[in-house]
Amino acid sequence: MHWNGKDSAVFQAQKEYIDTAVIPLIVIDGSEHGFGFAASAADYTLSLANLIENQFKGRIVLFPSFSYTAGQDKQSLLEIWKEELLKAEFKYIFFITSDREWSTMGDGHDVIWTPSVPLDSMDQKMRISVLEDQLRQLIPIFAKKWAN
Amino acid sequence: MSNNKVSRRQFLSYTLTGVGGFMAAGMLMPMVRFAIDPVLQKSEGGDFVLTEKKIADITEVPERVDFTFEQVDAWYKSDITNAAWVYKEGDQIIALSPVCKHLGCTVNWEGDPAHKNQFFCPCHNGRYEKNGENVPKTPPLGPLDQFEIRENDGFLEIGKAIPNTLV
Repeated sequence: MHWNGKDSAVFQAQKEYIDTAVIPLIVIDGSEHGFGFAASAADYTLSLANLIENQFKGRIVLFPSFSYTAGQDKQSLLEIWKEELLKAEFKYIFFITSDREWSTMGDGHDVIWTPSVPLDSMDQKMRISVLEDQLRQLIPIFAKKWAN
Repeated sequence: MSNNKVSRRQFLSYTLTGVGGFMAAGMLMPMVRFAIDPVLQKSEGGDFVLTEKKIADITEVPERVDFTFEQVDAWYKSDITNAAWVYKEGDQIIALSPVCKHLGCTVNWEGDPAHKNQFFCPCHNGRYEKNGENVPKTPPLGPLDQFEIRENDGFLEIGKAIPNTLV
């Protein structure tokens, strides 16, 4: 499900089945050397998130991406998001990002970190096959969490 | 005065009938056009999308075939990639939609090692037989949709989704 009016109605009617929230985390970098890389990583993360939504449409709600700058307190960002989403009775909350800083924060936060692949120079077919490969690696992560 | 001269009265009546007729036609034409509009709509039969799958390469094991078409959403054009599970049953080629009839996830062939020869939906463990029939006691309430298919120069073309005809 996407975060829009039509899907939110389905969500409210099918809460027992749709119990997982996915939030892409996107870093905004204004510096000269980081600008292009951050933009490319955002493109990749959002494409991957859309593919995850397509695969697990009936169980997850894909939220609009959360953008932040490097200086913001990451720990409290997560807490605020979780607190709000628990109100909507989500049982599982996943964050997906290719910002390396999250990977060092340790487990227990459900932040899925995937190294970004520059998709800019690829044609449509190549993009899809790269993203499908990534998705195949992510499916077990979701399945494992859901199995518990 | 010759007999075929038009009298003032006749002239007026001809003119009024003529003008009135045009006015009535002007009003009626759009109404008729609206009424028969559905008949004039171009049929969507030409919506087949060519895939890169050769008919000869299709086996009895369902295989994923991607196909891409352009979708126009108001001013926003985008390439949508869709997939189908394609296999051969006797001489017939079957293309099933991968969209789970429960809540719309994507199903995978033999996605669950515990259930061979079935489609599996990882979201809520929904299962389907090879012909798309939903396995009872799993969440889906109906069979997988089927795609219209046809052959074009040895390659597979996929059309629009139709209700499953195999179950």
